[in-house]
Amino acid sequence: MQRARVVLATVIVALSVSSVVRAHHSFAAEFDANKPVTLKGTVVKMDWVNPHTWIHLDVKNPDGTVTRWMIEGGTPNTLVRRGFTKASLQAGTEITIEGYQAKNGANRANGADMILPGGKRLFLGSSGTGAPKDAPDETGK
Amino acid sequence: MRIRVLGLGAVGLISMLGLMSAIGEAQSQTAAARTSAAATPKDAATTAKTPRTPWGDPDLQGTWDYRTITPLERARELGTREFYTEEEKKALETRAGRRMDAPPEEIRPGLNHAQYWTDPGRFVSDGYRTSLVVDPPDGRIPPLTAEGRARQARAPSRNNAVNASWLDRGDQERCITYGLPSASLPTLYNNNIQIVQAPGMAVIVHEMIHEARVVPLDGRPRLNDNVRAWIGDTRGHWEGDTLVVETTNFNGKHSYRGSTTGLHLVERYTRVGEKRLELRLTVSDPTTWEKPWTVLLPMRPTEGELIEYACHEHNLSMFNILEVARDAEKAGAKGQAPARGDAADDRQER
Repeated sequence: MQRARVVLATVIVALSVSSVVRAHHSFAAEFDANKPVTLKGTVVKMDWVNPHTWIHLDVKNPDGTVTRWMIEGGTPNTLVRRGFTKASLQAGTEITIEGYQAKNGANRANGADMILPGGKRLFLGSSGTGAPKDAPDETGK
Repeated sequence: MRIRVLGLGAVGLISMLGLMSAIGEAQSQTAAARTSAAATPKDAATTAKTPRTPWGDPDLQGTWDYRTITPLERARELGTREFYTEEEKKALETRAGRRMDAPPEEIRPGLNHAQYWTDPGRFVSDGYRTSLVVDPPDGRIPPLTAEGRARQARAPSRNNAVNASWLDRGDQERCITYGLPSASLPTLYNNNIQIVQAPGMAVIVHEMIHEARVVPLDGRPRLNDNVRAWIGDTRGHWEGDTLVVETTNFNGKHSYRGSTTGLHLVERYTRVGEKRLELRLTVSDPTTWEKPWTVLLPMRPTEGELIEYACHEHNLSMFNILEVARDAEKAGAKGQAPARGDAADDRQER
């Protein structure tokens, strides 16, 4: 119990100092956390550029027309280190993106999760991606 | 996102009620924690034989990774307790590992950046440390001076609904600089530096916004006070096997928690193991903080090289932010509620 409390206190501190732990840019100025979107479409291309990758996705509408969306992703640096490379997402792949739409209603979204063909949710952690892990620094050896 | 933050806040409040009684217990375990923290950094000189460059300087070269989940500042409730217990450490690292590895549906809802976008680490620093700040002893950045507080009160707050120009956005969003000492402190990703040495010279490259700081080691005087730069002017020298890097002459356009042109950084880089470099960073700015403060940050060699973070060329985010603001203005002119930003949201990106 005591352990849980100390851990929680630390977690709270970690959150409260997050004003100095910044991602590249403001989410709130660009995207709307109250506009979650689920987009099913075909990958047109993926821009591997800093400060953010962008996935271009053709989404078929119920009336048969196609809308092209741009999905903001993480930095190439981070994706590569977590095992997601240029080969990971090819043009023509059918994927589903869950994310948050641009505040002004443009066809842009901040990508949160990606669901690959076959239903696999992308979570590029340690499981099977071969992503390098950081090492504990206890020994330094 | 907001729901998650509120939820955590509520959990936090509830837990705070129980915290005070927990602190006594926690402190009683401090001695045990110290004992278990056998990996507490030892005196650098006694633990490592520093390799040499061909010209005889201590060799600190390489790409170094400083990810850690240890917060910069210690939770107030922990007082002067420097180390977690084994149990606390395990719980925190398990939680961090889950955030990195668990399927998204388990760590959401409310996390607006997918976890695979970020790379904040999964281990407590130095095995057990409760804060990166090691001085003052409470593990926290000292209070602002009266002048610092007044300055902060005058500082413009960012309003996402205005954004009349890119000038209204921060230096990082504009890809100008991540700033110092921010570029030396752990953040969401790009927690890497590279050190390159040549006779009489060293270069510290920060991956976040690809700053390269050239450090003359030949004893030349620093620039005069009239010459100032975003990341200051840097000079270095060796003290034994420690590279001491001193940075002054900041232009003050980028502020770290209210810092000014008087910001003064002293970085001390020491190899403390074959696979470990230790940075001891002392930050001062007499008109901003009541006293100097020091961070201890262990670094490990990382796989691969730094990756260029050429931020400006494709900074679509800036374009989009301004477009959103203009559209909000048009909507406002038509009598619709403009899409307002909320600075509080920005603070919850992690």
